[in-house]
Amino acid sequence: MPTFTFRKHLSRRAVLKSAGISLGLPLLDAMSPAFAVAQETGRAKRFVGVSLALGLHNPNLVPSTSGRGYEPSRYLKSLDDIRNDFTVISGSSHPGVTGGHNAEGSIFSACPNMRGTTSRNTISLDQLMARELGHETRFPSLVLNTGRQTSPSYTENGSMIPAENDPVRLFSKLFVNDSRNEQERQAELIRQGRSVMDVVGAEAKALQREVGSGDRDKLDAWFTSVRDLEKRLVANEQWVHREKPKVALSKPTQIPRDNEVMVERIFLDIIHMALATESTRFVTLHITGNSVNGIEGVDESYHGLSHHGLDDDKLRQLAIVEQGVINEWAGFLRKLKADAMLDETMVLLTSNLGNASSHDNKNMPVLFAGGGFKHGQHLAFNQKNNYPLPNLYLSALHRLGLQNETFATSEGEMDGLSV
Amino acid sequence: MLRTPSTLSVLICAGALPIAAGELPEPLISFLDSHCVECHDAEVSKGDLNLLDLAFEPGKPDNFKVWQRVVERVESGEMPPEKKPRPDHDKSEAFLAGLREPLIATDRADILEKGRVHTRRLTRLEYQHSLHDLLGIDIPLTGLLPEDPLSNGFETVASGQQLSYHQLSRYLDVADLALGEAFRRVLEGDESYHQFITPADLQKNGSGNYRGPDLRDGKSISWPLRLQFFGRMRPTAVPESGWYRITLKGVEAINPDRGGTVWGTLRSGKGESDAPLLFMIGLVEATTKPRDMVFEAWMEKGHLLELKPNDAELKVPGSGASGGNVSFKGRNLEKEGYSGIANRGIEIERIYPIADRATVRRPIFGEKPKDGSEWDADPIAAVEQNISRFARRAFRCPQTPEKIEPYTSLARATLKEGGSVPDALKTAYRAILCSPRFLTLVEAPGELDDFAIAARLSYALWVSSPDWNLLQLAYEGKLRKPEVLSAEISRLLAHQKAERFVESFTDQWLNLKQIDFTAPDPRQFKSFDPVLQESFLLETRGYFADLIHNDRSISNLVDSDHVFVNGRLARHYDLELPVKPGGGVQRVSLPAQSNSVRGGLVTQGAILKVTADGTHTSPVVRGVFVNERILGVHIPPPPPGIPAIEPDIRGATSIRDQLEKHRDSETCASCHQTIDPPGFALENFNPIGGWRTNYGEGGKGVIIDATGRTPDGIGFDKIDSWKSIYRDRKEDLARGFVRQFLTYATGSSPRFSDQAHLDAIVAQAEANDYGFRSLIVAALSSPIFLEK
Repeated sequence: MPTFTFRKHLSRRAVLKSAGISLGLPLLDAMSPAFAVAQETGRAKRFVGVSLALGLHNPNLVPSTSGRGYEPSRYLKSLDDIRNDFTVISGSSHPGVTGGHNAEGSIFSACPNMRGTTSRNTISLDQLMARELGHETRFPSLVLNTGRQTSPSYTENGSMIPAENDPVRLFSKLFVNDSRNEQERQAELIRQGRSVMDVVGAEAKALQREVGSGDRDKLDAWFTSVRDLEKRLVANEQWVHREKPKVALSKPTQIPRDNEVMVERIFLDIIHMALATESTRFVTLHITGNSVNGIEGVDESYHGLSHHGLDDDKLRQLAIVEQGVINEWAGFLRKLKADAMLDETMVLLTSNLGNASSHDNKNMPVLFAGGGFKHGQHLAFNQKNNYPLPNLYLSALHRLGLQNETFATSEGEMDGLSV
Repeated sequence: MLRTPSTLSVLICAGALPIAAGELPEPLISFLDSHCVECHDAEVSKGDLNLLDLAFEPGKPDNFKVWQRVVERVESGEMPPEKKPRPDHDKSEAFLAGLREPLIATDRADILEKGRVHTRRLTRLEYQHSLHDLLGIDIPLTGLLPEDPLSNGFETVASGQQLSYHQLSRYLDVADLALGEAFRRVLEGDESYHQFITPADLQKNGSGNYRGPDLRDGKSISWPLRLQFFGRMRPTAVPESGWYRITLKGVEAINPDRGGTVWGTLRSGKGESDAPLLFMIGLVEATTKPRDMVFEAWMEKGHLLELKPNDAELKVPGSGASGGNVSFKGRNLEKEGYSGIANRGIEIERIYPIADRATVRRPIFGEKPKDGSEWDADPIAAVEQNISRFARRAFRCPQTPEKIEPYTSLARATLKEGGSVPDALKTAYRAILCSPRFLTLVEAPGELDDFAIAARLSYALWVSSPDWNLLQLAYEGKLRKPEVLSAEISRLLAHQKAERFVESFTDQWLNLKQIDFTAPDPRQFKSFDPVLQESFLLETRGYFADLIHNDRSISNLVDSDHVFVNGRLARHYDLELPVKPGGGVQRVSLPAQSNSVRGGLVTQGAILKVTADGTHTSPVVRGVFVNERILGVHIPPPPPGIPAIEPDIRGATSIRDQLEKHRDSETCASCHQTIDPPGFALENFNPIGGWRTNYGEGGKGVIIDATGRTPDGIGFDKIDSWKSIYRDRKEDLARGFVRQFLTYATGSSPRFSDQAHLDAIVAQAEANDYGFRSLIVAALSSPIFLEK
């Protein structure tokens, strides 16, 4: 391990320790080049996308004034201490994306979905990042969901990545070492898995001769998947015997499933540790739980409240839940900031629904933080004729040092957002 | 703005192969020129269609779609629009015939070369059933695989299925898990567990808040308390995850309702606030006459049973103690008039519902040997023989030694490394279960071979792989014979496994899977409860299964002379019918002249609930649903940039008024005149399927107007008259249903050139008044099903 990167590690470790985390040593060889690149260029190196299945009530979220001196909206008052660490974006959405709840698949892919009828998605932002830059960590990316197993993370050929929805299992995967026996078993399964994949690949090839030219695309997906899985298995073979990092966070035991805001917090705490220990750099967390009656002052379901139909009492309860969701996101930012990680970490909060009550996909709620951008502003675009949000995604890719010229329907980098 | 014919024909001539532009005959060009080009030119380009720039290249899929759309819109009379000069009938027909012909020829050639369906993969439900049937195991597997996306409304549609390494890696893991279970059962034996918990023992609920049942006169009694987890019984917690037979002894109603029952639910779960989720096991219909009730359910390790009256309309007593506790001390709730459910103990027994240990042994180790000793003599022969049999069943067709060589070579490698015969078999089986020959339906272009037909049939009607009977007929090459095919369809439909079809098909076709997607607003809809929701599912599935088994007419989609209800539903629907207490969901005739609004499928609670959002209803959402899934009318998606209507449940405005504004515009009106009418007719049904006459909480808002006019101009004043219009349109209903069924059963929507096949299917069922079973048999015997 070259001396200069080792020093960086040491100083990094000191920072983490002060924040109450101790990194498991030894550090992995594979990490050092990544550190070198990131440190040398001063770029961002992580992305966390938090998405909401049920939107945010725009009248409570969008500030009435724009620019740097914007007046905080009802929901943003409690974030005033970190107002210079994030940007509020209003009047933007993904062009050509409609279909209400069906647009969930396009949150991070921005794939025009032919009004919810197309069957094929395109790669999501986090997966594009992970594909290019994710190979140095134990997990190229984490795809998480507070409730369901669905996710807005899609592979290159438009296949949804199933989400991890159990925080206990997630914690174990990241931070709990398997027993020797289990490691051996895993290693054997991986080894066996690789020989199985050889057979599967050969069979897919043989099938090509049997099923006709119309199936070529489908069989191509088999070849790609087999190849990708083989690569993944090789990588896992390397990782399976390596110590997992130790963290000053205990494994969650009670998951209060009647309080979606607390579930969000548990996930964000684990994500924080996963980033701090370089277990991964790219994360999506989709917030989909429906139970919120464990929250003081709330006695209906989250989905039910999102269909408020302008009823006062429902709007009151909805605001309690949504304020909680935003506050947890803000708490996560504060932790990254305290660890001096925020400038290297881009953190997004958004939803496919701009208005959950009417299932409208325009005017998506967008809060964007970190990554070394100049924040502290409200970028107010046209509510009637929306600004393309994929421009933000392109800016995020560039911030990581990726040279993509476009992302989905982007027209250029995000206006008004600079380093 | 008339163009000369020559202008147009020149541009069309600029089009390319495979059907040369010159083949679009002159009369077609002049028809387009005189009736279409005025609006569909470069300048106006209505609906984004510019015919002057449109080549005729049906060999290109996108180009084909545009011309198909031209045919469809002229066919339906939508184009040219009403206010423009209409071409006379003969001219239109000639134009359509002329345009259809090259399109059909192109489509047909494509189907013959490539087929309609391209590498359809098993859905996770099909995967689970296949593994259960193949191995005899019964552990739930669907939750371990990614959700299947819907395409054209169905999970089975191949074009919507994508694959990535994430999915493949799950297949590896799940195959390992499933095989682990099968091998463990055979090599180590089954678990057993048998407990009888007396009413007195059911009281033992450990420390913490008491939420258990009451005990009186030797009976354990649950009362309708609203406290969360009230009714949980800690002594019923099971030691291991598995299937259990649960017998509630001597179930009896206390202070029953007018129908003679008290409605409750039996659910399982952790029963703690950090795990509030409860899994429905079944409805408990307690009657005045005590009886044993038997349930079979998968329960997770440590989960307990919760039994409670769960009818929202029951009078609720106070909990009788402070804090979160419940106390029955010094109270006699029976005398105070509260309703409850009593039982005389609960029996819990571990079961293996799919197959016993000996039956699990056969597919993985064959008939012999019992102790494995004979394997030692020639282990290689042993693995090869077993793999050959296993592969035949898993791949659903005969196997040659060459074909299974990749799998046997894996096994031989394991043996060489010192592994046992079972180790070697497990490795090979794992590869077989991850192979595309197992995970996809392997179909060659053209007419399907017998084995591919066997697989399609079995996945269509059993949601699983074919059994030996079907495979045997395929070996004998008999499945293409109409009488054999029809007998097999009858056999499959009569089998218990056909219940899987009813469930899986209605889950997708009627969206029943989404039954709990929204929780009805508890303040507006106080009568909603879990009993009702579960009854909705039983009603619709029971109704549909009966339509098939008794070959009832397609008109039953819209209206019927009978309903499938239990006492709870009859009360919800306000039906004065002789419903037998304790009889569950049952078929009950509607008296003639009853004027009931409840006959047919569209006014069933499940349909009305999945088409609402829990707080309000939209005629657009319901209208699209009824058009597409019931009436067989395809609704194109809305153009982009249309503002959504802000729902308002305060009761001062009606959705109809809001929609009227939207319909003012000519572009919107052209589709909404088709979309909205069924939705209007259903406006008298609230989001939980109850009848209403006014909007707003407590029915104090604006009066509901359920009148409308069908797209072809027939007026209706409410749901009854709407039904009487559509129940007679049997051919349209039949064609619509067959399209849905074939999309599900083959994994691809019928194509443009399949129109004649669809007509033939419908015509074949005419003799039986377009009965459901007749339609299914005709569909499964048609080239659409029997060709790739």
